[in-house]
Amino acid sequence: MAEKKLELKNKRFTGPFTLIISVVVFYLVVKIMCRSLYSQMVVNMALVFCLVAYSVSVMLGMCGELSFAGVAFMGIGAFTIANLTTGRFGFKISPLGAFLVVIPVATFIAFIIGLILLRLKGTFFSFSTIALVQVAYTFFNNYRPLFGGVDGISGIPSVRILGKQLTNHYLWFPYLLVFVVFVGLVVEHIRNTQLGRSMASCRDNETAARVLGVNVYMTKVIAFTISGVLSAMGGALYSMLIRYASADMFTYDTSAKYLIMAMFGGVQSTIGAFIGALIVQILPQVLKVFQRYFQLIWGVSIILLMVFMPEGLTGIFRMALKRRKSRKKGRISVIQEKGEE
Amino acid sequence: MAENETRKPILKLENINKRFGGVVTAKDIKFDLFPGEIKGLIGPNGAGKTTLMNIISGIYTADSGTIIFDGMDITNVPDYRRARMGIGRTFQSPRFLQRSSIRDNLLIGADLGNRIGFLEGFFGKKSTNFEQELKDMMDLLHFGFNWDDEISSLPFGQRKLLEIVRSLLSHPKVILVDEPAAGLNPKEINYLMDILRMAARKMNIGVLLIEHSMDMIMDICDSIYVISFGVPIGEGTPEQIANNHAVIEAYLGKEDE
Repeated sequence: MAEKKLELKNKRFTGPFTLIISVVVFYLVVKIMCRSLYSQMVVNMALVFCLVAYSVSVMLGMCGELSFAGVAFMGIGAFTIANLTTGRFGFKISPLGAFLVVIPVATFIAFIIGLILLRLKGTFFSFSTIALVQVAYTFFNNYRPLFGGVDGISGIPSVRILGKQLTNHYLWFPYLLVFVVFVGLVVEHIRNTQLGRSMASCRDNETAARVLGVNVYMTKVIAFTISGVLSAMGGALYSMLIRYASADMFTYDTSAKYLIMAMFGGVQSTIGAFIGALIVQILPQVLKVFQRYFQLIWGVSIILLMVFMPEGLTGIFRMALKRRKSRKKGRISVIQEKGEE
Repeated sequence: MAENETRKPILKLENINKRFGGVVTAKDIKFDLFPGEIKGLIGPNGAGKTTLMNIISGIYTADSGTIIFDGMDITNVPDYRRARMGIGRTFQSPRFLQRSSIRDNLLIGADLGNRIGFLEGFFGKKSTNFEQELKDMMDLLHFGFNWDDEISSLPFGQRKLLEIVRSLLSHPKVILVDEPAAGLNPKEINYLMDILRMAARKMNIGVLLIEHSMDMIMDICDSIYVISFGVPIGEGTPEQIANNHAVIEAYLGKEDE
């Protein structure tokens, strides 16, 4: 056996330089490509939904628990904004101020719900989150004092940042982009710290997690809370963008979309959620020519995706990198073993 | 108390009983494990050795009896908290995070060693000598790896050794090692014994070792505890055990007249 030197260098870190360059390139590409307000809106929506895709990435990718609860928390975020900014409680806060309120509200609610639902395991937990979404929808749709019933709540004022009123989607875009990238960095940081590793241990081997001192239940509750806050921020921005909040924006049907976004890009990576959200949101617009067959193409491609690239786009990219690396070293790549248990 | 501090057991089992339905897997088990001691836990297949380890690490709860760790009664303490108190554990087939890199797999041990909360971890507090400790241990094990490779890229034997490394990185006071030599080649078994000796002598860790390789048990253990069908049948130094009739009988059967 050839003795290999121990390499401790962190090679995964790509450096702030690459990041800034790619964000700037992305910004310019969108600026050039988006000739109409509508296409800019599509991109903005993709960025907002990206936050929800992050939340899937945290819960499913890091923690290994499939949760549909994202839309429920989006609703909580959106209706918090709507109630606080339109003066339904008798006072008005600016949208940005209300956005800061969303975070503690969502943290509190997600934590309590997480404590209850995560007493269930695996599939049972997933089903309970579906129930949660339905319950939340029923509330949103019927309880007028808080959620405006079927009419929803309209008239959310436009956002004012640095003395500028964000009245159209062009103005929104740079702020959204910076915010989404920033949140992405936070999520990526979680992945690389103790919390992320604890979550990964809950995902891959609970027994190992426990003998390594990880409180599996609490770690999952924390993951659920983080993902709830991410979704709520997404929902809040959603309502701030379209200046309206109503129950049918947060149905169970739409929750599949966020799941697909995260799965498409690769649920194991943060950048994957970003790419997935963009593709899933933008592709239907690009393929408008095939509108009649779109659902068919969409369905088939999702099946193919799950069969041939369960790790999503970033998974394929990572695999290609690995294959190149092992070819370089001239050694046979090791057949990946299935996880124990 | 101060003068016999060195001989105070770090782990003390008192009359541990456990049964699964009609099957008795532990009956009145009692022993002391001292810091720096390597204690072999042996017995024929199905004797309840791994079950006993699971009881100590908290994966199972004992039906009756007390477990004293570091002067505290931990019989009803949940498993993850026992790990944080300093009970390390490795498994017969290594349990790693299959989808994570080697780095993450080892750092999770170091996380436990740091004993800090998630928030402090988020803001970048980390152990200062993690790399040095890891290097020292890898010197004993005579193999290296690429930090970013996935854990599944390592051969089985190296993964087993690495699981012990992961556990030692968490600075345990007691480490429960379940059949570490199974699947290892003779060279690796030597490295394994080196690292277990290092853990006991240098780090003053109490080592409880399940192993079927008698050569290794006789070579490395300070004392041996033998169980058969959950019942303790012998305890003593390797020499005493080698000449213990009950033990020989359990392993080889009764001699005909």
